[in-house]
Amino acid sequence: MNEPPRLPFGTTSPPRAPSRKVVTVSALTTQIRTVLESTYDEVWVEGELSNTRLWKTGHLYFSLRDDQAQLKAVMFRSAVRYLRFKPEDGLKVIARGRVTVYEPKGEYQIVCEHLQPHGQGALQVAFDQLKRQLKSDGLFAADRKRPLPLLPRQIGVVTSLDGAAIRDILTVLSRRHPTAHILIHPVRVQGEGAAAQVARGISLLSRTPDVDVIIAGRGGGSLEDLWAFNEESVARAIADATVPVISAVGHETDVTLSDMVADVRAPTPSAAAEIVVAGREELLSRIDQLSRAMRGSVIDRLGRRRTRLLELTRRPGIAAWPARLAGRGRHTAELTHALTSAGRAIPSSLERRLHAVRSRLDACEPRRRLEATRTRVVTAHERLRAATAQRRQALASRVGDVAGRLDVLSPLGVLSRGYSLCWNDDRTAILRDADHVSIGDGVAVKLRRGELTCTVIGKK
Amino acid sequence: MEEHITDFESAIGELETIVKTLEGGDLSLEQSLALYERGVQLSRFCHTRLEDAERRIELLNDRGDRTPAPDALTQALDDGDNA
Repeated sequence: MNEPPRLPFGTTSPPRAPSRKVVTVSALTTQIRTVLESTYDEVWVEGELSNTRLWKTGHLYFSLRDDQAQLKAVMFRSAVRYLRFKPEDGLKVIARGRVTVYEPKGEYQIVCEHLQPHGQGALQVAFDQLKRQLKSDGLFAADRKRPLPLLPRQIGVVTSLDGAAIRDILTVLSRRHPTAHILIHPVRVQGEGAAAQVARGISLLSRTPDVDVIIAGRGGGSLEDLWAFNEESVARAIADATVPVISAVGHETDVTLSDMVADVRAPTPSAAAEIVVAGREELLSRIDQLSRAMRGSVIDRLGRRRTRLLELTRRPGIAAWPARLAGRGRHTAELTHALTSAGRAIPSSLERRLHAVRSRLDACEPRRRLEATRTRVVTAHERLRAATAQRRQALASRVGDVAGRLDVLSPLGVLSRGYSLCWNDDRTAILRDADHVSIGDGVAVKLRRGELTCTVIGKK
Repeated sequence: MEEHITDFESAIGELETIVKTLEGGDLSLEQSLALYERGVQLSRFCHTRLEDAERRIELLNDRGDRTPAPDALTQALDDGDNA
């Protein structure tokens, strides 16, 4: 049997009684805490995250470690709110905070105010994390992409009214699709709350009757500016939308998570508008193509019949008739003439008919229709302008007339002729009777220019 | 001849059938002209559907109410149209 190890105190050198000072655990802990807190009130420490847990309370608990040591750490909800990325085990970070002691457990720990990924930007880390998540949820899958409607009844747009994006979109739509019905939900596209607004706008428009496609986007900017379109809420709103969504964020080179989830990614807002109208233009050109094919085939058919008819009339059987009948006098000559002209009349009546139909077809060609509409609009515009000008002039002369009459009636007009107005002291009445004031009362006299403050010194 | 045309999709479908018939079928002249006239009617209908509407730009607020877009937005477009 081994002897139990001796404790290193108590036996060999007993502490000397006079200097012995006993403190309580809490007093000592408080002292240690004070030392630690005053020495390490702001430190930057680099390490790897482990045992990372986000509590329901919103506080984040974890350890920072390297290959030889670890440090318990906590980050309170108020600071967690500002994290742009998700803290995950294994991530190398730099933390800023103060060291303190958690007295009930006798543990020292660092209270972090700020965490940033070590080596790469917080935004980049967040982007990669969310991209992984969305991908594993299947949001980028090709079979989720819905085809765009050929003829959207209404086009929903989620963007800022102040940016270049809305202007670009409207310019393209008005040029390429003059009859578009556009419904814009204005939002902030950057800064605090932007992502929430964009996400809500997408889901709102997707639930709005008659909206068949949504464009969500903004003009170019820095990674931070475009950040709303990398937020999970926006990506999920796009995925949940009941109608196809076209994302149009920044420039050609900017690719956001919204772009990856969207049914169609447009490189720019203008391109998104072009994509929306492409279906309609495709339809227009298909109709024109069909009309041309139809006309071509009818013309062809008529041509063939006519050729055949002419051939027939030239056959010896018919062509020989005039000669055979020549000898039989004037009557037969007339018959011959009637016969040949009837032969000619048949194709020409067909041609007339073709002509009529063709001109009706021409009349409905889009270009002509547009020309006609434009002329109508311009004419209407001119008439409106003329009518407005006339009306304005009539109003102006009426106003001039009334102003002249007002001028005559104005008390100021009277004053300029040398009359003056006299008010009682408290300006409640204009004086018309000397009995209404007493000697010594104050009165105010208004002249054409300026005013006098007077005292009554006599009455008559 | 004035057969009713119900919707865009069926109109363009019928137009396609007519073209196919005209191009391939062995039709009498009367038949082909009748088809042609019907085709013209259909293509006019399609164009009307695509062109006859007014441009509308509206704003949608959080409550789902619509209001016409501010002049500042549409003004620039009208200027652009005239240019």
